[in-house]
Amino acid sequence: MEKLLEVKNLKVEFQVEDKVIHAVAGVDLQVNADEIVVLAGESGSGKSATALAMTRILPANARIASGEVVFKGRDILKFTEKELINIRGKDIAYIFQEPASYLNPVYTIGSQISEVIVLHQQKSRKEADELALGLLEQVRITEPKRVFFSYPHQLSGGMNQRAFIAMSLAGNPKLLIADEPTTALDVTIEAQILELLLQLQQRMKFSMVFITHNLSIARRIAQRVIVMYQGKIVEQADTAAIFKSPEHFHTKELIAAYEKIGRI
Amino acid sequence: MILELKNITKSFSGRQGRVFNALDNVSLKVDEFTTLGIVGESGSGKTTLAKIILDLIPLSSGAVVFNRELIRDFRKDVQIIFQNPYNSLDPKMRIKDMLFEPLSIHRIAQGKGLMSRAVELLQLVGMDDTALNRYPAEFSGGQRQRICIARALASEPRLLVLDEPVSSLDLTIQARILELLAKLKQKFQLTYIFISHNLGVVKYMTDSVAVMREGKVVEFARAGDIFRDPGQDYTKRLLEAAKGPY
Amino acid sequence: MRKNPYLISGIIIIGILSLAAIFAPLISHYDPSSIDSRSLLSPPSSSHWLGTDSLGRDLFSRMIWGARISLTIGIIAVGIATFLGLFLGALAGFYGRFIDTLIMRFCDIMLCFPTFFLILAVVAVLEPSIFNIMIIIGLTSWMGPARLVRGEILSLKEREFIQAETAIGCSDLRIIVRHLIPNAAGPVLVNATLGIAGAILLESGLSFLGLGVQPPIPSWGNILIESKSTLGIAWWITVFPGLAILVTILGFNFIAEGLKKVIG
Repeated sequence: MEKLLEVKNLKVEFQVEDKVIHAVAGVDLQVNADEIVVLAGESGSGKSATALAMTRILPANARIASGEVVFKGRDILKFTEKELINIRGKDIAYIFQEPASYLNPVYTIGSQISEVIVLHQQKSRKEADELALGLLEQVRITEPKRVFFSYPHQLSGGMNQRAFIAMSLAGNPKLLIADEPTTALDVTIEAQILELLLQLQQRMKFSMVFITHNLSIARRIAQRVIVMYQGKIVEQADTAAIFKSPEHFHTKELIAAYEKIGRI
Repeated sequence: MILELKNITKSFSGRQGRVFNALDNVSLKVDEFTTLGIVGESGSGKTTLAKIILDLIPLSSGAVVFNRELIRDFRKDVQIIFQNPYNSLDPKMRIKDMLFEPLSIHRIAQGKGLMSRAVELLQLVGMDDTALNRYPAEFSGGQRQRICIARALASEPRLLVLDEPVSSLDLTIQARILELLAKLKQKFQLTYIFISHNLGVVKYMTDSVAVMREGKVVEFARAGDIFRDPGQDYTKRLLEAAKGPY
Repeated sequence: MRKNPYLISGIIIIGILSLAAIFAPLISHYDPSSIDSRSLLSPPSSSHWLGTDSLGRDLFSRMIWGARISLTIGIIAVGIATFLGLFLGALAGFYGRFIDTLIMRFCDIMLCFPTFFLILAVVAVLEPSIFNIMIIIGLTSWMGPARLVRGEILSLKEREFIQAETAIGCSDLRIIVRHLIPNAAGPVLVNATLGIAGAILLESGLSFLGLGVQPPIPSWGNILIESKSTLGIAWWITVFPGLAILVTILGFNFIAEGLKKVIG
């Protein structure tokens, strides 16, 4: 298994009023090429902070206290802003929970995707538009032309998420970090988006870190599971092993919750 | 029977004079001490129905008929828990004042009795009295939802409408809140109308289920029956999607 | 001071001003109307800190007493305007439809009149007095707060916690007074602070024209009446009142700026 990204001893702190919160308290993890990993934990476990820290897109009150993120042989935490811009959206892309919040409301979907392509693939606007349309088709949008010319507020949550996925793939990323992308969606739409991500990954071979509080998602799409609790990794294993013989009490809690109310 | 919804229709007039039916001829009966589940995707009209039952928005036609023997004082006997715990509490009010409000409006307690009753309510939902002097912003989503439950119970209601009460919480917290709700229902002999898009949750909580789609009720049956042997295609599709490949 | 420099500086300025106004009788060395016929139009000196005017009255004492007048008028006028604005804005925002239309059209009509000239016209008919000035400024400045409150309430109404209050059994009045207004208070407070500055400016202008506070009661505006004729020979009569008005307006603006930051 080829190593794609390695996180070493990552520590992230948040300044909230006069208190310091240790959101990530020493995390070591690894993502290999062509694999899907689920990063599971409750709110406050540090999973999102870990993901955002990787390309330093944390909020203003956060600080990376220590650690390394080794990507392509170099520690990207030590990169300058200019070098990081070269990675964000291109090598490492994100999708988030509420796509509408992350899309610019005054530009059409098409123009936003084209913008990413122009930026990262140095194509002309016209070529970019063509490619953008193609991407919208790839994410199984049935009327790609209509969506291309639509604004985010005119589309449903599921549709926006598909568009956002298209946008994140526009830079041809090696790693896609998905931060609870289906949490705000209906169960039926969630199923479709998970299916879509699985297919895209199998076709395009990017690696994906999927962050969630619902462990059952791992069963559907992931090879490995990493469980976080209160800023630390408490258990890591292959998906099958985690469900068959969970060791840490929190992993067991997550599994118990899903067995009680997460399935029918 | 504690509540009957008769041919409820709610239309909104959109742009260019278009009329949109959020609810279309919805009829349902709710028996006392049961939990009726209302299942549907976004846009099916479930939240609109909840608000109509609570008379928070007017209906266009039809009737919400309560059993007057059981529901005598509407605002006291019928309460609602909303989906978003971050939006349901007045950010400028202390928890104790939020609990005092329904207690004094419905004259359940006065003066010193207010404080002791408030403490009891918090204990019922698994919180202690340190919460009383705090503001909502100091609590997590799950804790806020517990506070909403305590507030809803303050007026000693008979019927509780729960509109996706746990959907915005972590799965582990969801499980705990649902357990709490089940326990409270038993203890206070309540009737629940439980709205959710999550079939796993609905299966856990409900006695009977109404499936809604685009403002209409497409199927209604006992919970066990619906999950074992759904009648309608739409219901089947919902179940399929929820099950996934395992 | 680091956290909110505007708020702190504003409070210091207005604080000093207010103290001066409150303790006017103790601070001013001379009676503001007393005439010292030996030093007419004399420049700032050790016996008359800010100089004297053409009647030999001590400028410093007149300025201190003027502060009292200006601040009182500003605060009471804005108090009236804000109270009226809160009341009408809340009704319009909460009940909507007919009541909203009625109140807002009335607001529009009032806004059509150039305020200053409206006040001039009213003052020309009634006799100019401190009491009248306060009432008139108050009655012609409620539109700003009203629209502000209405806007806040319109958006607050959609928040679920208001519906939750209705569900609990709160009466309309209780919801407006206990829930809506406290939550709308922030912007209204900022508006009121700026309003005081505006009212002081308005009163100064009226007094300068002779239609405001009547001499011998000192007001910064009517002290400036003399400046027209004494500009070349007695700079202190123009500079000090002008500076006072400037610093006061600045102080209130700073407080407003600081409040905006606090409210967030």
